[in-house]
Amino acid sequence: MIEFKNVSKIYVTGTEAVHNATFTIEKGEFAFLVGPSGSGKSTIIKLILKEEEASRGNIIINGKDITYLRQKRVPYLRRSMGVVFQDFRLLPDRTVYDNVAFAMHIVRATPKHIRRQVPMVLSLVGLSNKAKMYPNELSGGEQQRVALARALVNNPSMIIADEPTGNLDPETAWDIMNLLNEINARGTTVVMATHAKDIVNKMKKRVIQIEKGVIVRDDKRGGYSSEV
Amino acid sequence: MKFNSFTYLVSEGFKNVFKNKKASMASLVTMICAMIMFGIFFVLGENANYVVEQVSSTQGIEVFIVNDATDEQISQLESEIWALGDKIATVTFVSKQEALESMKESLGSDSDLLDVYEGDNNIFPASFVVTLSDLSYSSEVEQEIWQMDYVKNIQSSDQTIDTLIRIANGVKIAIGVIFVFLIIIAIAIISNTIKLSVHARRKEISIMKYVGATNGFIRGPFIIEGIIIGVVSSVITLLILGTGYDLLIDKIGNSSVLQTMGIQLLQFSDMLQTITIVFLALGIGIGVIGSSISMKKYLEV
Repeated sequence: MIEFKNVSKIYVTGTEAVHNATFTIEKGEFAFLVGPSGSGKSTIIKLILKEEEASRGNIIINGKDITYLRQKRVPYLRRSMGVVFQDFRLLPDRTVYDNVAFAMHIVRATPKHIRRQVPMVLSLVGLSNKAKMYPNELSGGEQQRVALARALVNNPSMIIADEPTGNLDPETAWDIMNLLNEINARGTTVVMATHAKDIVNKMKKRVIQIEKGVIVRDDKRGGYSSEV
Repeated sequence: MKFNSFTYLVSEGFKNVFKNKKASMASLVTMICAMIMFGIFFVLGENANYVVEQVSSTQGIEVFIVNDATDEQISQLESEIWALGDKIATVTFVSKQEALESMKESLGSDSDLLDVYEGDNNIFPASFVVTLSDLSYSSEVEQEIWQMDYVKNIQSSDQTIDTLIRIANGVKIAIGVIFVFLIIIAIAIISNTIKLSVHARRKEISIMKYVGATNGFIRGPFIIEGIIIGVVSSVITLLILGTGYDLLIDKIGNSSVLQTMGIQLLQFSDMLQTITIVFLALGIGIGVIGSSISMKKYLEV
């Protein structure tokens, strides 16, 4: 599903954000990317999204080597993944429904398909009754659920989440985690970058730990750090 | 592209225009000013051409025929002139008698002075008045007629013709230059407006990129926004120009100076088709180019 082969990323400023990373995340897996800020978690996420180009090595996604993927094909790569960010990134001038439907318009879904799919995803994240509200009328947790609904609406094969609980209080954070777990249980691969120790420890999922751009640990069922 | 995504893009384009009211208004007004400037010169140019055409149809070359030419020789000369082809618009024969009478007419009450020339004493030569399809042929045609037999003399108002041609050409060049300036100005205005609009929606654009929107899809609404501004300003310019022109023509067109010269000016409706096509093509073309320029930077995510 996601395979990194000796991937390094050196930014133009000269800093090496990722050094010789090699790992494989299988279909249906739930993997945490952990490490302190600036360790290279976000760079790995950006490399998966092909927002950044790898300086060395190969990245294979869904069986395709995306290292030399043409810029024109990048949108189609991204349609196979749903992305969730720490800051939600919702459109403030559109309702919850429209924020989710927006993602379907972009892939040129038919209006009929949109009318069927959006309510379904909204009920999955538990926001059916808030479809007509605007993002600023929702709590942080609800906003993140809208973002999750938007990520899910086009049935991606994987969810890429960059610190999705970073702006949420612990309780709402768990709501989101339970949702992600549920989505994963339905067969969607989930890759989540985080530094929320207790979440990682309690979930008992695969943990890929990064320090200064180097993968220092890859546990199939690990905690946040090896000492725990 | 599927129809529903096209309607989506169009409705997003309209939303852009209204979301960006101030910038849209500003560019609309500037566009209209630029287009009116162009429109004025365009209208002047069309009229200059029209006047030249009218004058060329009245400004004939007078070909005087030798006095002893027979009727056959005269008709032979006429067919030779006609043989010059497309350049010739009309050939009118003026007999000796007609020449005398027109001279008498111009003398008015003193016309009886010419009575002595009646009949066989007529010293006025017969002539052909040759008019041309395009005044620029005049010197060429003149030379060719000179080569023909039975031609006594040729008279043409060379200077009037030359001046008219020069004016018409000058106006054409001015239109060309202004046209180029208009295109540059309009592209700058529209691309700037779209830049503001893109900036206002940069968050949306970055989200679109993450969700997997193609560049074409992201660009669509902004191109449509550019086209809307282009087309709306074209239409408003046409209305202003049309009303203004017709008002002016009412005052000037019927003035005694032009009427005595036998010159008519064009009605706006005569030019409407050309000017509409030019403006709409301009509006749409500039909308597309202007917005494409301003999008470049934002599409690299």
